[in-house]
Amino acid sequence: MWQWFFKLGSPKWFYELSGKWLPWLVAAMSLLLVIGITWALLFVPPDYQQGNTIRIMYIHVPFASISLAFFPLMAVAGTITLVWRMKLADMVAKTAAPLGAWFTALALISGSIWGSDIWGTWWIWDGRLTSMLLQFFLLVGVISLRSALEDTDAAAKACAVLSIVGCINVFVIKYSVDWWNTLHQPSSPIGMAGDSANGPEIWVPLVIMIVAVYLFFAVSLILSTRNEILQRERRSKWVQELLASA
Amino acid sequence: MLAALQFSSIGEFFQMGGYAFNVWTVYVLFLLFFFVNLYFPLIREKQIIRELKRRLIVRNEVPANKHD
Amino acid sequence: MTERRITTAAAFRATLARDLLIAYKRKNDIINPFMFFLIVATLFPIGISPDPQRLGEIAAGVLWISALLAAMLSMDNLYRADYEDGSLEQLLLSPHPLYFMVLAKNISHWLVSGLPVVLASPLIAYMLNLPTDVYFALFMTLLLGTPVLSLLGSIGVALTVGLGSRGLILAVITLPMSVPVLIAGTMAVQQTLNGAPLTAYLAILGAMLLASITLAPLASAAALRISIN
Repeated sequence: MWQWFFKLGSPKWFYELSGKWLPWLVAAMSLLLVIGITWALLFVPPDYQQGNTIRIMYIHVPFASISLAFFPLMAVAGTITLVWRMKLADMVAKTAAPLGAWFTALALISGSIWGSDIWGTWWIWDGRLTSMLLQFFLLVGVISLRSALEDTDAAAKACAVLSIVGCINVFVIKYSVDWWNTLHQPSSPIGMAGDSANGPEIWVPLVIMIVAVYLFFAVSLILSTRNEILQRERRSKWVQELLASA
Repeated sequence: MLAALQFSSIGEFFQMGGYAFNVWTVYVLFLLFFFVNLYFPLIREKQIIRELKRRLIVRNEVPANKHD
Repeated sequence: MTERRITTAAAFRATLARDLLIAYKRKNDIINPFMFFLIVATLFPIGISPDPQRLGEIAAGVLWISALLAAMLSMDNLYRADYEDGSLEQLLLSPHPLYFMVLAKNISHWLVSGLPVVLASPLIAYMLNLPTDVYFALFMTLLLGTPVLSLLGSIGVALTVGLGSRGLILAVITLPMSVPVLIAGTMAVQQTLNGAPLTAYLAILGAMLLASITLAPLASAAALRISIN
């Protein structure tokens, strides 16, 4: 029963499988992105309050939603690293951290540009913004710890511990910052734009964009993980054979 | 389908109802991030393969740990 | 295993006593974080405004941030000397659960660097013109909150103990983690000033303290094992 799990942990198996899947993922991602962006830019009706800035939502919301997935992902990968010593889990965790920092940064920047008009300011100490910023700092912490530790194995375990602690902390920070914020000011207009019962002409393209950005994340993660595999497994027989045949 | 188009001219499309800067900055940033994020790993892959091949030829490295 | 006469409780007490003795002999460990706290708190009136009215408004935040920075600065002492002279390795080899050993070290660290700051806080609060009604709130929140800072910081130090230069990494890792404590602490003071009951905030800080006493030493212990090997 566990066989598939350990098979999944074999870098060679992952490398071959991801090689087969990549073209399909890229095709699906490109198709959805083209549809999503065209729809968002050309066909979504302007919001009665925000006008055309509503189109920023179709970039911002997918990025913001996927940014929340990074710490849980890294914590799960970290647990697998610590418990089962699976090399692949750490390779994924290693590539996920910088990717997460970039996604979080883009979510913050796009939100700030969107908010510059609705709120009339580029930054407010709103609960969501603040917890996103802190998550960004925590991700930078994981990245710098990884780069500071030279030994790959020690770095893997240390980052695994930090990711698990960080994941718990991200949730505590999120709740505490929301609590801090709600006593200071009413909820943010972001929520109203995204969550309210809008018609399908608003949310269908949003769903398409969310799926597209998730696929984009998967493709970037797979590409970087494959590079990581090649580098770390360079002495193994299968990589040598791969190189000889390439 | 064309009836659902929200803009009547290209110029209007680029103006975004006065929000050209906000909307286009976000979309350009996204596209930039998108391509960079796909381009760099691919370049890196080529580099790694070239580098590893060179080592393979120069030193004919002995496999240290034998995975299958 | 009849030769193992020392109980875990005795080992815990021995570690605690040893660390306190070392701190007592090296007075710097006690004086430095405390002086740092005083100096940082002094910088705020100079940097922002000597106006008593404005100072009173920010006093609680200033005290909390100064305490946080003092805790961060003193964190380095927690494992470094022990790492360098090899006694940390001995601690890892001991048959007792590392959890209790780490907890003992954290408690001694807090007694040495956190408690003086807590005790001095009313004095600084007076100098910063904090309204007298909230002295108790400030004191209690610092008393419950600074141990959490020590316990969280310990994880960061344990992860980076083997590194040569780690000042900035330590700050990047541990400062974001201490945000919930900072929020609970400063909000307690603010809301007490507005007439809200303090107990709810003390309960939250107490819960944070209990959670970090149970979980943080586990993470620190795991991190130490990784860093030493």
